[in-house]
Amino acid sequence: MAEEVNVEELKQKVLEYLAKKPWQVRDLAKVLRVKKRELDKIVQELINEGKATYWSSGSTTYVTTPEKLEEMEKKRSEMGAAE
Amino acid sequence: MPVVDGVELPETPLLDELEKGPWPSFVKEIKRAAIEQEKAMKAGKKIKLPGSAKGLLKVLELAYKEKRTHWKHGGIVSVIGYGGGVIGRYCDLEDKVPEVWHFHTIRVNMPAGWFYTTKALRALCDAWEKWGSGLTNFHGSTGDIILLGTRTEHLQPMANALAYLDKFYGSPAPFDIGGSGSDLRTPSCCMGPSLCEFACYDTLKACYEFTMRYQNELHRPMWPYKFKIKCAGCPNDCIASKARADFAIIGTWKDEIQIDQEAVREYAKVIDIEEHVVKKCPTKAISWDGKELKIDNKNCIRCMHCINVMPKALKPGKERGATILIGGKAPFVDGAIIGWVAVPFIPENELIEKCCEILEAIWEWWDEEGKFRERVGELIWRKGMDEFLKVIGQKADVRMVYAPRNNPFIFWRELNP
Repeated sequence: MAEEVNVEELKQKVLEYLAKKPWQVRDLAKVLRVKKRELDKIVQELINEGKATYWSSGSTTYVTTPEKLEEMEKKRSEMGAAE
Repeated sequence: MPVVDGVELPETPLLDELEKGPWPSFVKEIKRAAIEQEKAMKAGKKIKLPGSAKGLLKVLELAYKEKRTHWKHGGIVSVIGYGGGVIGRYCDLEDKVPEVWHFHTIRVNMPAGWFYTTKALRALCDAWEKWGSGLTNFHGSTGDIILLGTRTEHLQPMANALAYLDKFYGSPAPFDIGGSGSDLRTPSCCMGPSLCEFACYDTLKACYEFTMRYQNELHRPMWPYKFKIKCAGCPNDCIASKARADFAIIGTWKDEIQIDQEAVREYAKVIDIEEHVVKKCPTKAISWDGKELKIDNKNCIRCMHCINVMPKALKPGKERGATILIGGKAPFVDGAIIGWVAVPFIPENELIEKCCEILEAIWEWWDEEGKFRERVGELIWRKGMDEFLKVIGQKADVRMVYAPRNNPFIFWRELNP
């Protein structure tokens, strides 16, 4: 039971980070001091729940929240219009 | 403006140069697509990206004129649950050419060996004409079907169309999105035993098994960088796996080349065996006395030359299996880096299971130790082959040749120009 609480806490923490900017899971694992493999599973669950989503720089894939993604896409669209 | 088939096309003097010459031209094909799009619109067909082929011609012409690209990449991946297979492309000429402002690419997992029925191809094209530009590239370097150009809002419907291509478009089977980014790229294989007598294992089955077993790795990027698996049926390596795959599985045999002496004597009537076979053997392992061909199999390095010259007389041995090469890659700037022999021989009946065991051990190690954008071959250079062999549970062996072939390409010359 205690472990479940920890996972939920970790999920919440991950979401807070993802809401700020897109992350590579390996970098986020270092910051949060958890095993990458463990974080991979958590991120996958968040993606399946629709709370996290992929974002690609073109060559590298990052993970962020759908809200942050929308915000970035909006910015891109505005920048595109300004060019 | 030039008018073709009653359709006005943009002025493209620079692109027109690419239509000249005897080779196929992508410009010609884009123009054809532009004409077809216009006709479809006039016929009242519902297409989501009208004028996109015309728009593409305009952007390309401008790019050649200004000698700079107008494409930006990256951004949304947008198919639910998938982290790869969609490559975001945007054009910076939104105001001038709005038809191609969004022009995302979708990679589609091709069938093993690239075997299609015309029904499947028609269904793919019908779906893509509905949800995208209709422009395709058969195939990309990794082997995927490349669908060129659609808008963000059409990505999910197109992915759904692929998943139900059998139900709604009449394809014999549905299709799935392929790999991109830091994931397992779509595994590919040569046509193998379906069409080739040299195949030393069932490449199609192996490719299919890897694809089905590693769906998570294929669709969810989680590694330091890309990882490619290619299955070649024999050392001819028609899919150039040694130069392009991180994990190349190349068919080979352990025993002796099978010789039909009667057929060799038949060949002797039409070719000079001494000149074209014996002297061409890189290890001088063949002798011919005019009646009998002898091969010193211990010194055969599986170059395949004699078998290729006399396919009716010579065949790979009976004890078949494959060699695993690790760390091959083909970067543009540095040129091809050939894979290193990691496992000299795995018998055919154990091949798939053994490969999966090795693959999973490699991925665990590489995911843990690899730096950002470091291919597995580069990690081996950094950490040493010694450590890698421990990871995959192999002992060092003299057959683990660093680069068993040094030229990935076959240069074809016309004999009678």
